[in-house]
Amino acid sequence: SPPKDSAQPQTSPVRNKYQNARKVLNSAECQKLPGREEQLEELKAFFREHLENKKSGSLYVSGQPGTGKTACLSLLLRSPEFNNRIQKVYINCTSIASIGGVYKKLCAELNLKPQGRTERDHLMAITHHLKTSTRMLLIVLDEIDQLCSSKQSVLYTIFEWPSLPDARIILVGIANSLDLTERTLLRLNARCELKPKHMHFPPYTKQQIVDIFKSRLEEAEVLDIFPPVTLQLLAAKVSAVSGDVRRALDIGRRVVEIAEQQKKAGEREVKLQNLNNIVGEVESTQGQQEEVLKPVQVTQVAAVLNKVYGASQNLQEDIEESFPLQQKIMLCTLMLMLRNEKNKDITMGRLHEVYRRVCNKRNIHPLDQAEFAGTVDLVQTRGILRIIKKKEPRLSKVQLQWDEDEVNGALSDKQLIASILDDTACLAK
Amino acid sequence: TRLAEGTPRRSIQLSSIVEKRVFNEDDIINTPKRTKARKSISIKSADHDGDDDYVPELSTPKKTPQKTPSKGKRSTTKSSTSDVSGTPKTPSQKLKMIRSGEIKPSLEKRGILAGSEKGKTDLQIARERLHVSVVPQSLPCREKEFDNIYTFLEGKIQDQCGGCMYVSGVPGTGKTATVTGVIRTLQEKVTDDELPPFDFLEINGMRLTEPRQAYVHIYRQLTGKTVSWEHAHSLLEKRFTTPAPRRVTTVLLVDELDILCNRRQDVVYNLLDWPTKAAARLVVITIANTMDLPERLLMGKVTSRLGLTRLTFQPYTHKQLQEIVTGRLNGSTAFKGDAVQLVARKVAAVSGDARRALDICRRATEIADAAASKPENSSKDSMQCVNMMHVQQALAEMIASAKVQAIKNCSRLEQIFLQAVAAEVTRTGVEETSFMGVYTQIETIAAFMGASTPTPGRALRICSKLGSERLLICEHSRNDIFQKILLNVSMDDIHYALKVNNTN
Repeated sequence: SPPKDSAQPQTSPVRNKYQNARKVLNSAECQKLPGREEQLEELKAFFREHLENKKSGSLYVSGQPGTGKTACLSLLLRSPEFNNRIQKVYINCTSIASIGGVYKKLCAELNLKPQGRTERDHLMAITHHLKTSTRMLLIVLDEIDQLCSSKQSVLYTIFEWPSLPDARIILVGIANSLDLTERTLLRLNARCELKPKHMHFPPYTKQQIVDIFKSRLEEAEVLDIFPPVTLQLLAAKVSAVSGDVRRALDIGRRVVEIAEQQKKAGEREVKLQNLNNIVGEVESTQGQQEEVLKPVQVTQVAAVLNKVYGASQNLQEDIEESFPLQQKIMLCTLMLMLRNEKNKDITMGRLHEVYRRVCNKRNIHPLDQAEFAGTVDLVQTRGILRIIKKKEPRLSKVQLQWDEDEVNGALSDKQLIASILDDTACLAK
Repeated sequence: TRLAEGTPRRSIQLSSIVEKRVFNEDDIINTPKRTKARKSISIKSADHDGDDDYVPELSTPKKTPQKTPSKGKRSTTKSSTSDVSGTPKTPSQKLKMIRSGEIKPSLEKRGILAGSEKGKTDLQIARERLHVSVVPQSLPCREKEFDNIYTFLEGKIQDQCGGCMYVSGVPGTGKTATVTGVIRTLQEKVTDDELPPFDFLEINGMRLTEPRQAYVHIYRQLTGKTVSWEHAHSLLEKRFTTPAPRRVTTVLLVDELDILCNRRQDVVYNLLDWPTKAAARLVVITIANTMDLPERLLMGKVTSRLGLTRLTFQPYTHKQLQEIVTGRLNGSTAFKGDAVQLVARKVAAVSGDARRALDICRRATEIADAAASKPENSSKDSMQCVNMMHVQQALAEMIASAKVQAIKNCSRLEQIFLQAVAAEVTRTGVEETSFMGVYTQIETIAAFMGASTPTPGRALRICSKLGSERLLICEHSRNDIFQKILLNVSMDDIHYALKVNNTN
């Protein structure tokens, strides 16, 4: 069969540095975590202390998405230091079927044999195991906010395990929100031994993102592809907006992809030129074989950053001529109404009435109400509007989500906008 | 939740035993699974491995062709299994075979063969080419987007790492067609040995009864077996988190992503979290309509995983729509050039939806057909062709507003009622009117016109009839005179319709 044969030459094609850089900038798990030394030390100290004292403890780790919480803990779970002294369980709470199902999953991970099949049996088996086991147990619950319910019975049960007599358990919960334990688990505050130790992962700073890029690129020996200036620019922008390293790596990868595309396009042009003038064939083919590495430019990085972070700006260039006319008229009518009327909640019916008058005045065939609703819906997908649904389509409300300047820029049809915005006569009944 | 699956518990356990045995030896199952999955994508009804004892073609000659053409999945499978292997007859055994993928669903074939190509007129051929389901080999006017997706996927497959991409755009702008076109091109490259092989899976949010059924569909495309979603999820989790040395890249296309979002967003989270695992080698391409869906609907951690590789399909301009239609017609003379242009311009002004342009063109061919079949036309012009008039008519049909016609065709009293509502709205200045006020207006108008005033009971009946026609929006009539009435048509429409009517 074909798949067997082609399984071997997977690595055979010659990979250039762009591809290496692209691969090494992936957002999968990794071994080294530069920029998280402090947190790692703190976590290690916490584990060590509890291991030596044979004491239970709970920890809550919080932080924005993409700040390396899971990466740190999975690194520690794999580290040889704790490997034989502790029994380790990692559960991602999004992967359980229901909130109560977490016990079942724990039983499966711990190889426990519960008496029955109900949730309570599983819980009993776990508590029995906690009381009797001799080894320390480390439970990591990722995305623990998925376990929140109205009564929080599951979360309370889990966080009460460390205070069980004879239990030797270290419990680590990971989530995004800073105050999950304070906000949802108020009762834990009443008893100090129950309250989990809180640890926050701050968003990455500019220097940390630069370090991450450097360490990753050095791993594949392609550091020269990113000049320091471009790295500084990228890191400054990402750390200022979110400090999410997934985004930074994404943008880095995107820059490399675009640089490669542009270089390919350039090579293609050179080839075309060669075909055109056969005279210069010899020397230019030689020039090609050298395989010069073109480091990425500041302009390329800036272009990608603008595209990613300036949502409405890059819309302008895309839209230009492709914004349908009826949608343009609809938006202009909406702006006209918002500007001139006191009553700012605009229903679909009112908007349609004015829109019809505007259309008739311009000798354009107006759309029917049913069709018009569809048109407004299409504009909503661009994020310019929001429709608040009501019982009747005619009564649903239309809200402008951008400010007027942005819309003006996006429509890029100054004449039409000006003529409609002047047309206050259409508003009158 | 288990009961909601509608599966007997015993069968789940039976299949789980089979699954466990197969899944422990990860390397061995990889190869047969892959071939099976690819075949089921390319040709649905193709027979697969040697252990299969069911070939759908066997059953068809046994069936009597005179029977009513129903979707005879159940009956064909029954007859075939009984005459091929003989043993499995009970419904539960059959169900088990269906769930394990040993029996493939088949449709009954037609007794009469389809008509040949020769007898068709120019218009008919054009109509067939213009059908929305006929996807051309290369999509015109989407070259840039094609290149974009192609380089992304090719890079991911060559690098053997995972990733996500988000593709958005309004309906009918060629998103799914472009992505599947890219996949087809890549698969051709795989057969030429220019690219490492990859699996292709596809789910559509709208085809799932529940977001979690996505696991079942993905697993079925991987192995051909149907299991409950909990089981499918744990098996998929095992597959994507444990490293296997000879795993190939899997490309997963998720259409209609916004349907998969529920409150917990666990399905979307899992689908986007697996690519971040190094062992998974999963590339997810998600398609949705809304441009800012990640920011608007998804949670922060899901958006972070979705990444920033995004692509937006803009609506087609009128030039592009024209190119698409002429590309489909492929040099046929059935359409006048300016007729195509009119369609393109009209559609591009509203939505830029290619499906709509094609539908209008098809409708125009039908109208031209009907016009040509009339005796007075066919005699003088033998050459059949769609001209501006036909297109105009088709456009009027498809972008028409039937409301004025509906008002014109109302009974006299209903027209008076509508007039009264309009008058009441002008009087009060508020859009919402009560039946009481409208009734007073009816009395006035009726007296003015010399017509007899209907009783309130009859007026209520008229009101509910207009409400069911959606010319009005009204409450339930048990509120009688206090019920609220809203106009669902514009007042200009009413005046226009009635004035034109009066002059007649």
